Amino acid sequence: MATRTHTHERLPTPTTETPDRTWLVVVASLVAVAVAARFAHPTQAAWLRNLFIVFGSLLIEAMPFVALGALVSALIEVFVPASTFAKLATLPRAVQLPAAAMAGIAFPVCECGSVPVARRLARKGLAPAAAVTFMLAAPIVNPVVIASTFVAYRGRDSLWVMVIGRFTIGMLVAICVGWVIGARTPGELLRGASVDDEPDDHDEPRARRFFTHLTGDLIFMARFLIVGALIAATIQTFIPSSVVDHVATLPILSLLAMMALAFILSLCSESDAFVAASFTSFGPSAQLAFLVFGPMVDLKLGALYLGTYSKGFLRTVVIVVTAVTLVATLWVQVVWG
Amino acid sequence: MSLVASARWSQARIAAALALGAWGVLFWTLLVTGRTSLYLSSRTAWLVPMGAVIFTVAALGRLATARTMDDEPLDRRTAWTLGAITLPVVLILALPPATLGTYSVGKRATFGGSAIGASARDVTGPLDFVDIGAAQSFPAAMRQLETRAGEPITLEGFVSKEASAPDEILLTRYIVTCCVADATIAQVRIVGLQPADYADDEWLQVTGNVYPVGREVLVAADSGTVQQIPVPDQPYLMP
Repeated sequence: MATRTHTHERLPTPTTETPDRTWLVVVASLVAVAVAARFAHPTQAAWLRNLFIVFGSLLIEAMPFVALGALVSALIEVFVPASTFAKLATLPRAVQLPAAAMAGIAFPVCECGSVPVARRLARKGLAPAAAVTFMLAAPIVNPVVIASTFVAYRGRDSLWVMVIGRFTIGMLVAICVGWVIGARTPGELLRGASVDDEPDDHDEPRARRFFTHLTGDLIFMARFLIVGALIAATIQTFIPSSVVDHVATLPILSLLAMMALAFILSLCSESDAFVAASFTSFGPSAQLAFLVFGPMVDLKLGALYLGTYSKGFLRTVVIVVTAVTLVATLWVQVVWG
Repeated sequence: MSLVASARWSQARIAAALALGAWGVLFWTLLVTGRTSLYLSSRTAWLVPMGAVIFTVAALGRLATARTMDDEPLDRRTAWTLGAITLPVVLILALPPATLGTYSVGKRATFGGSAIGASARDVTGPLDFVDIGAAQSFPAAMRQLETRAGEPITLEGFVSKEASAPDEILLTRYIVTCCVADATIAQVRIVGLQPADYADDEWLQVTGNVYPVGREVLVAADSGTVQQIPVPDQPYLMP
């Protein structure tokens, strides 16, 4: 039985008879980096030490979530028939999008894990708008995140504003993005990976297909996550979080500043409530903006989106998420203060 | 010739298995050596064994399915991509263990875990940095701390000095909720010591008496109750 090449893994086809020895250069480079890291004491430079620690911690936390997402994605690919999603795709959008957002409740992982799953769902036949709605809502509405938000704000007057507000506005924003995505097809939405590009490996044993998709998704996502984590760590290393303090009391700027901070910090949605709670100079609405915006748009997610989705997707997400979050949290600001 | 006989090892798949295996090795190493606490808090430490298992399974599975009918050589682009994916593993394993220090203090927010602040009312045992961090963020927690002014306190943290107050030292501890990227700080000002005797990033155990003043917390100590300590196994506090 022949094994077909997976395009999304970028496994190559032979183009020359001369063996490519690039791998030797790569291995030599990695060894050189290891020796330099061990013996040149780069972490004696405080900023470099800070950069490595934050970079490492972001990856060590996010990679298992990406792995879990890839695992779920591979299971969906191998064990869930495409007809299941095709049926869902026939439902009216007004039903599909809220249902997709609510489905996020059953998926307790952070934002990095939901990206490969949404990608798989869209390729498998679910309406891309619904897949994106799920992807954006899941990191906010899942029980672990709700619980962490509750714990972070327990004992404060704003507790229920934060918990209910985050859930509700998160759902609203995710549905709005899905609505704007509209009737785009997987081929229009996914970067270089339309349905037609999927390997036709259905004749192969399930175990083989499972590992092909698991490793393909992992390698695909990992490289973008690494780039995003490196950018986030670099910015965290040089820009103090207090940079936004001076706009804490300004009505709209405070919301935008907290959204910008969430974008830069690239925190996991399961921990960001504790950081948001530490910005006591900002009101509940600005903290809500931080908690809704961050799990949908941040630096590491930006890299993942750019790698996963077609040109223009990131722009659409940033514009819609910013606009809806701003309007919703502004309303909270007016009502709550 | 049978199909099985013509199957050959795919270079690309073996390389992918090695890259994923490297991540598996990283997570197993963190697990075995206890270095998880340098990156994650106790509440997210479960991610490390999960990552170890998934990456190991993925690597072994890729290896087990690496025999293909078609040639799959490792091309230049794939080789560099897999190298880039492996690079963070190499860095994390090769670099000596390190913790955030003075450099990051000015770039971090003050700890504001309200849950701890609220529970400070019930603290009957020794005060710690988490109580102090909460007090610096929440008036209710600060009022609680004020009722305990003058009580003895023992704190472990690292020295950080302010350029604006070179004759004083601050004892600082990071508080981590999920991973070090979300670290916030708790700080006390130590009075009664000679700052020149202590260097930035030096870890100390300080015993003194606690005095909340405004939004600050002072600890009055003398050199006899201060001792240098190595970096603790748990350098970050995890409420």
